[in-house]
Amino acid sequence: MDPSLRIVPSSAPKTASVQDTSNSFGLHDTLRYGPRSLATEVQTTSAIKDRLENWEATQDNLKLTTLRNVYGLHAPVRLLMERKAVSYNPHMPARSTSNIHLDVLMGRDESVDCADFMMPSSELRQPLDIHAEMEKKLRM
Amino acid sequence: MQTVDMQQLKSGEVNLGTSIMAVQFRDGVVVGADSRTTTGSYIANRVTDKLTHIHDRIYCCRSGSAADTQAIADIVHYHLQMLTQQSGERPTVHIAGNVFQKLCYENKDALSAGIIVAGWDKDAGPSVYNIPLGGGLFRQPWAIGGSGSTYVYGYCDATYQEGWGRDETVNFVKNTLSLAMSRDGSSGGVIRMCVITEDKVERLFVPGNELPKFWEGEEVLKLIAPVKKRHEFTDDMAVEV
Repeated sequence: MDPSLRIVPSSAPKTASVQDTSNSFGLHDTLRYGPRSLATEVQTTSAIKDRLENWEATQDNLKLTTLRNVYGLHAPVRLLMERKAVSYNPHMPARSTSNIHLDVLMGRDESVDCADFMMPSSELRQPLDIHAEMEKKLRM
Repeated sequence: MQTVDMQQLKSGEVNLGTSIMAVQFRDGVVVGADSRTTTGSYIANRVTDKLTHIHDRIYCCRSGSAADTQAIADIVHYHLQMLTQQSGERPTVHIAGNVFQKLCYENKDALSAGIIVAGWDKDAGPSVYNIPLGGGLFRQPWAIGGSGSTYVYGYCDATYQEGWGRDETVNFVKNTLSLAMSRDGSSGGVIRMCVITEDKVERLFVPGNELPKFWEGEEVLKLIAPVKKRHEFTDDMAVEV
């Protein structure tokens, strides 16, 4: 949680870049993705895209900061702790993950979004790369 | 590459070009505002209520972007309700002012909001807090804001007296707003006022045709020569073709 009272996402450009093509050392993975290219490294910032992507997180953060200011640090800490406890997934990275408990805690258990009914998840799924997923998970 | 600037009030966006004020008197405060909301030169709402309830005895006057000020007022209302539940008593105007100030300062790059918070609480009695664009907090006996306020600083400085009662203060607010509304294109409509005291909040309404009138130039028009004589003059000068 960021103790800030931002109402809308700020347009501050992030300097850290997380490459999609990075291996476990954080470098470009040539064996898997080929030589380095401009496409994977240049990041064009779009103000509206950043705003929309960070919208829900910013609103949630504002509420948590308000809770902190009114009740004390324990209030948001407990809520965040519950969310973390509920997000624990001991299984292998499986195809479909639905976390009802987390949805309930986040207050989205009674809402249906476009992604929930529009595209069958089988088409969205990238080719099974269990090894890469496990590596990412265990290096955490 | 063309990037849209999401953060600023875009041209034509709904604007509270406005005249707002709040004045403290013996037993309470009087808050007042005009009622015009503009989108460019179109008056989107000519009977707007810019006096927003924040708590039982705390109201705020909003100027600047309509969306920004509504969003902030909602957040502060939510915050103060939680505080009331926690503490069991009404929050002070000082607390309300500080909550507004924190929001306005931290979001100053994205907001266009000038807010005046005023009310009554049992610790300080009546108080008025002015929060201009940058997000500073200033306690004042009287405060004016909005685009129309620039025209009436002189009038307010010359007229304001300490120790007024309710009726004198209401008149002061009515006259000031009337003058501002007659000079500022972005202010107009009706005058809405709230008188906030320990016992109650009283809403007052002054329709557009009952606004106090000041110099309107009628005596200037009388000095011009009457119409009949002008016609004679014109006939003498007629050119025969």
